[in-house]
Amino acid sequence: MTQAVVIDSPSARQQDDTGLAAIFSAYIISATCWLLFATFVGIVLAYKFGAPDFAPGEWLTFGRLRPIHTNDTFYGWASIALVGLAYYVAVRSCRTSFYSKKLAWIGLGLFNLAAIAGTIALDLGYNAGDLEYREWPWQVRLIFLAALVVTAWNLIGTVAQRTMEDIYLSNWYTIGGVLWTCIIAIVAILPWYQYGLGQVAVSGYYMHNAVGMWFTPLALGIFYYALPKLLSRPIYSYALGVFAFWTNLSFYPILGAHHFLFSPLPWWLQTTAIVFSVAMLVPVLGGSANFLLTMRGRFGDMRHSYPLAFIFVGVVGYLVGSTQGTVEAFRSLQEVWHLTNFTVGHSHLTMYGFVTFAIWGGIYTLLPAATGKYPSRTGLALHFWMAGVGSFIYVISLSIGGTFQGLDWIRGAPFIQSVVDMQPYYVWRGVGGLLMFLSHIVFAWNVCRMTFGRSANVIRLTPAVSDGVAE
Amino acid sequence: MHHHLVGPLIGNMIIIGVAGVITLACFVAMIWMLLRPGETGRDHPKRDILREDR
Repeated sequence: MTQAVVIDSPSARQQDDTGLAAIFSAYIISATCWLLFATFVGIVLAYKFGAPDFAPGEWLTFGRLRPIHTNDTFYGWASIALVGLAYYVAVRSCRTSFYSKKLAWIGLGLFNLAAIAGTIALDLGYNAGDLEYREWPWQVRLIFLAALVVTAWNLIGTVAQRTMEDIYLSNWYTIGGVLWTCIIAIVAILPWYQYGLGQVAVSGYYMHNAVGMWFTPLALGIFYYALPKLLSRPIYSYALGVFAFWTNLSFYPILGAHHFLFSPLPWWLQTTAIVFSVAMLVPVLGGSANFLLTMRGRFGDMRHSYPLAFIFVGVVGYLVGSTQGTVEAFRSLQEVWHLTNFTVGHSHLTMYGFVTFAIWGGIYTLLPAATGKYPSRTGLALHFWMAGVGSFIYVISLSIGGTFQGLDWIRGAPFIQSVVDMQPYYVWRGVGGLLMFLSHIVFAWNVCRMTFGRSANVIRLTPAVSDGVAE
Repeated sequence: MHHHLVGPLIGNMIIIGVAGVITLACFVAMIWMLLRPGETGRDHPKRDILREDR
């Protein structure tokens, strides 16, 4: 352990708190801008399903807008928000200060530079090809990798100068996630893997690990810090949290091949991916049970704590979405669902129902603690219910419609029949998506209140459940 | 379900067997930790985090 940094003078402490709040706020504001942009693009895409001739210009074609929506959601919104939260958790849980505020600002600049350059490149038609979630040209992905390295360096440096003996569990997850993603990002760039069958294997490896080894550990790390703080109650089993960390690390990297069942990839690799998809139930069921048992007897607190409600939905999204992922990996079911809209529903259940709700829960819990500024109860309620109902409609409609689509294909119906059958579900998808987008506008307003608004009387997380609203 | 790429049965059995045993052992460990969380010490890190961070 390096030299512990203890800040004992009130003025230095004040300065340190202000610096932390400024960095944390900047990450969240930046991420919120990307959320608004990326999901607006998503709304345009949803509209195009109903009106394919709408906005026919080459810059607005489905093939260009779709990767802009996914990449900006991944690398603009979720990545920047989670790194901002991870920094706050590292500094506070280690009772220290930033290893380097400058590195944090540089990292934020690099993340944004990558997202802006990637968006422009994709819209101009520069696309790395059919490599899902790594459509950005490799030069842009190098910028993103640089942002990850800077973040890893700063997080490790911060934790190394902690004033307490143990490294709290949240930091295992967040630092682990950043380091794993550095490896994934490097593998995705190495030129000798980018052709032939090897490229297929790396594609599966990258696309699945970009979710499970990046967003999942960071979101879980936020749960492990925010939930005990909200409830003023320790996590049910710390050991199980550590066990889930190692099982996630051991099993997840092997799963990617389940995206390519029935492909020319070696059969043993596909089978191994299926078996370890089942093994992933260990960290998923164990982790979810850990969070839910931490909340035992306190579920009623959600009536007056929207931050807790966001986290609860995030935990349920993690449990249901990940379990669904295991089920989808079975050959018999993937035969029906693969390449249908069911998969789109699944990805929204995990990236939205789990990761995005986890981020929102973390922001509503921790950002007010950093800035001393709170959103209104009405703003929280509008955000929660519109996002919750919208995503529910979205996921259910695509799950049902996607199943019909797959069954149409299996029974050999003309392809256009599956399009006709999907039509009402596309409409419902648009309705759900619109509600989700409206909730993001409210969220942006809430972020403004938490960063530029007036300070409240209460500036710390209270021992009882924080209701996350101004007093 | 049979597929022409399925490969030899013995190879599939070995993969499923080894991976399955690892998976089952992890399930047992998970359930054990859920039933007996322990960690009753007052200075355990999970309680320490509840103190004021500042």
